[in-house]
Amino acid sequence: MRALALHPERCTGCLRCELACSYMQTGTFQPSKSVIRVSPFEGHTSYAPYTCTQCAEGWCMTACPVGAIAITAAGAKDVIDDRCVGCKLCTIACPYGTMFYDGATRKAYKCNLCGGAPACAEACPTQAITYDDIAVGDWIGEFAAERTARVLRFESSVPVAGGLR
Amino acid sequence: MPRRHVIIGAGTAGLNCIRTVREEGGEASDISLVSAERPYSRMVLPYYLGHTIAESHVYTATPASLAAWDVKARLGRRAARLDSVNHTVTLDDGAVLEFDDCLIATGSRAVKPPIPGADGAGVHCFWTLDEARAVVAGVSPGSRVAMVGAGFIAFTILNALLARGAKLTIVEIAPRILPRMVDAACADIVARWLARHGVTLRTDVTVTAIEQAGGERRLTFKDGEPLAADVVIMATGIRANLEWLEGSGIETSADPGGGIVVDDRLRSNVKSVYAAGDVARGRNRVSGALEVHAIEPTAQEHGRVVGANMAGRDVAYRGSLVMNIVEVCELDVASFGQWEDGGAEVYTAVRADRSQYRKLVFDGGRLTGAVICGPAADIWTTNDVGMLKGLVYAGSDLSGWKAHLRKNPFDIKPAFLATRTVSRLLPETILSRASQSPQLPQSVMIP
Repeated sequence: MRALALHPERCTGCLRCELACSYMQTGTFQPSKSVIRVSPFEGHTSYAPYTCTQCAEGWCMTACPVGAIAITAAGAKDVIDDRCVGCKLCTIACPYGTMFYDGATRKAYKCNLCGGAPACAEACPTQAITYDDIAVGDWIGEFAAERTARVLRFESSVPVAGGLR
Repeated sequence: MPRRHVIIGAGTAGLNCIRTVREEGGEASDISLVSAERPYSRMVLPYYLGHTIAESHVYTATPASLAAWDVKARLGRRAARLDSVNHTVTLDDGAVLEFDDCLIATGSRAVKPPIPGADGAGVHCFWTLDEARAVVAGVSPGSRVAMVGAGFIAFTILNALLARGAKLTIVEIAPRILPRMVDAACADIVARWLARHGVTLRTDVTVTAIEQAGGERRLTFKDGEPLAADVVIMATGIRANLEWLEGSGIETSADPGGGIVVDDRLRSNVKSVYAAGDVARGRNRVSGALEVHAIEPTAQEHGRVVGANMAGRDVAYRGSLVMNIVEVCELDVASFGQWEDGGAEVYTAVRADRSQYRKLVFDGGRLTGAVICGPAADIWTTNDVGMLKGLVYAGSDLSGWKAHLRKNPFDIKPAFLATRTVSRLLPETILSRASQSPQLPQSVMIP
């Protein structure tokens, strides 16, 4: 099964993936509605995209009390809109923070691999997101650890205000 | 002879057990399901009350879907007696079912305190589908609704009552709302939010009687003015349905919370009898304690673990995480794990102007609990609620992040990513295998 592979060292933070994703998912160009999110590191000098891995447990799917999340032909766990009641149980069951809730439709939504042609991968100009025949993995943990280490060291020596952005 | 499984209760635990037995396949087996009610999801009754779904949407199985699973359904029947020596269950109509293994998943029921008039007309609980129907019939635009109790169950139906046009007053015996879901600081933010949205809240009041007066209800209190209401909803707690097991030899706990004592396979002291969901005193994954959680995700995981074991696999359960989420008037409130641990290291932050609250509870370098509160628009833009669960569930080592999180309890995402929590979580599955799509009667095929 093909999966999204994320290569943070190639990411430029252009957010084209978020625009493409939000358009595919909700019909609007609105990064806040995207189910792939680009995180900035070290004061916006490096970036990493992050999204659902379509994990084996499928916490969102097993948690849904009305069977509104199922596996698609592309191997994605997807929300069946007509079944979702908007109870948000999936959003606390998913331990990855990759279930989303749309206040306008009052339904949960998530990465569904765009039915097998992910718009984020297509939109990425630097191949930081690719759609490959590859095992799922923690694509950005190593990168995030490295890019936050310096800031954490600085913080532990100097009192600072504000978030780690 | 095929193995005979008897499942008592068609709630979340019972149905997840049956589905898992069938998913595992293996040798042919007989499944009998005993349920007083037609199977439905209690979780979604508030949406039926709020008119956003039809009644047909609440059902989780139909005679046809149960037949497709090759389940002998005995709906409308209750289990009356369990004989753990002869391995039989006797039903309320006298029928006797023999079993090789049995699941007790009889759940809970709503209970009312012994207040005079609590059984009168226009006084309802909101727990079963029948009770939901009564509330649906009783509440119309302009109805004055008195909600007795300000716990999680009460809060799950506030939006629905307001959507029906009810004028809502909540009365609570304790000094504050949501005592078992969030801490006092968060409860205060939620209380202020409710007041701004037209809900009247009276805490620290004891209802002494519910009188019938000229077609309406009149609540009287130990102190304070009486309250007139068209409909009274009693959200005053639940109790596990265990009485029928008296004399069965199935061991229940005398400790607070009670429940059937189970091992890490959810087996009772009688090894062929399992217990799951609200009746089971199972392991708390974070603290290791044995507790009744009485929440949907615990019932679901219990049910699946029992199903896999009934099907012949040997699946141990590492325990469940207490977690809840509720939304009132577009304010989201959620908590995970051991959020009320008094002896732990606690970091909190409040953004009063935006009704936001965060609480992080640490045991050494591990996050063991969290509370999160904020307007829906903020919560689902940041979208780190699930990461809090992930950190608690995975037990990631946050030692290097504590100084940062103490200053910035809202900035959880880089800590989640950099502690490689994703790689810790990916191998985690409840049944040591990938999950399958649910097979519910209303499921539609995705192209």
